[in-house]
Amino acid sequence: MSTITASLGTDRVRWLRPTLTVLVAAAVAVGAPFYFAPFQVFQLTMVLVYAVALSGLNLLTGFGGQISLGHGAFFAAGAYTAAVMLDRYDTSHLATLPAAAAGCFLLGLGFGVPALRLRGLYLALVTLSFAVFLPPLLKRLEPVTGGSMGLTVNKMQPPAWSGLAEDQWMYFVVLAVTAVALLLARNLLRSRVGRALLAVRDNESAAEVMGVRLSLHKTLAFAWSAMFAGVAGCLYTWVIGFVSPDSFSFVLSITLLAGLVVGGLGSLYGPLLGAAFVMYVPSVSQDVSEAAPGVVFGLLIITVMFVAPTGLAGLPGRVLGAVARRPPRTTAALDRMPEAESAPDAEPESQALSGPSETHTPADPAVVDAEPVGAPPRTEKE
Amino acid sequence: MSEPTTGSTEAAAGAERDFLKVSDLYAGYGQARVLQGLDFSVARGEVCAILGPNGAGKTTTLRALCGMVRGRGSVTLNGTELLGRSPEQAARLGVAHVPEGRGTFNDLTVEENLRIGAHLRTGPRRRGRTERAAVVADLERIYDYFPKLRQRSRQAAGSLSGGEQQMLAVGRALMLRPSLLLLDEPSLGLAPLVTRELFEIVRAVNEEERTTVVVVEQNAQLALDIAHRAHVLEAGRLVLSGPAGQIREDGQVAEVYLGVSVLSRKAG
Repeated sequence: MSTITASLGTDRVRWLRPTLTVLVAAAVAVGAPFYFAPFQVFQLTMVLVYAVALSGLNLLTGFGGQISLGHGAFFAAGAYTAAVMLDRYDTSHLATLPAAAAGCFLLGLGFGVPALRLRGLYLALVTLSFAVFLPPLLKRLEPVTGGSMGLTVNKMQPPAWSGLAEDQWMYFVVLAVTAVALLLARNLLRSRVGRALLAVRDNESAAEVMGVRLSLHKTLAFAWSAMFAGVAGCLYTWVIGFVSPDSFSFVLSITLLAGLVVGGLGSLYGPLLGAAFVMYVPSVSQDVSEAAPGVVFGLLIITVMFVAPTGLAGLPGRVLGAVARRPPRTTAALDRMPEAESAPDAEPESQALSGPSETHTPADPAVVDAEPVGAPPRTEKE
Repeated sequence: MSEPTTGSTEAAAGAERDFLKVSDLYAGYGQARVLQGLDFSVARGEVCAILGPNGAGKTTTLRALCGMVRGRGSVTLNGTELLGRSPEQAARLGVAHVPEGRGTFNDLTVEENLRIGAHLRTGPRRRGRTERAAVVADLERIYDYFPKLRQRSRQAAGSLSGGEQQMLAVGRALMLRPSLLLLDEPSLGLAPLVTRELFEIVRAVNEEERTTVVVVEQNAQLALDIAHRAHVLEAGRLVLSGPAGQIREDGQVAEVYLGVSVLSRKAG
């Protein structure tokens, strides 16, 4: 009984901080377009657009463990779906969003099939081929896509009642879609499907033995992921008002993957940080060196990966971890029973202790090595 | 059985005795033939130990039962053919496999691991309120068997000790509400006391839930302590079968196949 009440109490503590964080983030997000200049608001809007694409890629790569170098193509497919609908059929902007989402979901489902047979670099290569072959295809389909010239579409106009400028209105629309998308990704991961996905990433055969259908979940991961990229592409068309094959070269796919890795694979807010990286760093590196912005961009990626191998999202945790010398993800420190607290813990904590502290004697590794054979003292306390 | 019973009850008794029936099972990996025609049955509610030296085919037997390895011959569970099914389909039929080396999902928390065990029970078609409540009740039941898991329910499985991970793997398999539990070398890399604790829990599970258990073990003595029947494998063939007590007594024969085994230590 005391266990239950204790866990309830810590649940409240656990909820308080994220709630506050979300409230502060929401306040900043809503206030930003009134503070910044139109061009900066546009940049922020693009950060949100990329964040949607990256959170989709995160589902697949960060949580599903499958590498895709083809997400720029899904992004393009979503963007062109919206552009063609707006240009040819004169639909409303909002109608293009579900169409792009559904279209890319199906496309992703189709691309999930090779994912069943291929993994790692081989899968990356197949997805890359999609990214490489899509732009020429878009150029060929001139009657529909406008060929190399691309398509220019009307931007969304702010309704009169809002009293907002065009860029501000666009920002809020994209913000709303992004918020929904991030929430959806988060809930997806906490659902039964998400758990199955993580289990497949961790240990495929063990997951299968537990009754998880590998083929279904791997394909679904691709489909969901492609859907997010497609939605991001659709938002891109709304914001930029122009699509052309050259905007979606395979470099976009690689940039997306790089952004995700820099932001933090498998972290819920890593995509936001990665999106900011993708948006701002190229322009910053342009300022540093006009001759070779790519070099600066590359160096920055290397720096980030060196300082924060788990991505920017993992950086605070790593810094805190280094300060507090505690293993990651032991949020259980709070709700641990007193008797558990006194019990000597397994390997992870001894590793955490074995840093610079003087308790780390040369004899230590031997003790750790001998552990599985079963030193009686440890098991007695268990 | 000698009683003049009707055919149907006799058939039912037969079905109980042959709850798991393995006949003429051949299996292997690519060119390597490992199992050379196994025949044995496990009665419902029984604990069956499969013993033998390294490379005898113990693990392969379990893998063939749960669909991880393709085999020839026949394996029926309660009359349903298991061979030719994927592991996921075998799980649907009530086979829960605790693989060698545990196979816990290390990035997931203990509770998430257990919930994966209930994956099939919470599927779209069965997502009833009652089933969800049953899963929560089962979580509590597992935590009652393994109190240490309750303490660590929100910890990442990767941060557990080896013994705790093995307990988690067994608990996760039980979340499936299996009719057949397959345990592959549960004692591997564990301290003797932890192993003993684990085996006691397996015995309790078997007694309380009437779960049929097939356990593969190097540690023959421990396995024979909880098993009702035992089979000794050697080079892919059964060389000795019988009630666990008899196998234990038959120390000499066992020693031939189990090497200078723990069995002799028991006698000494």
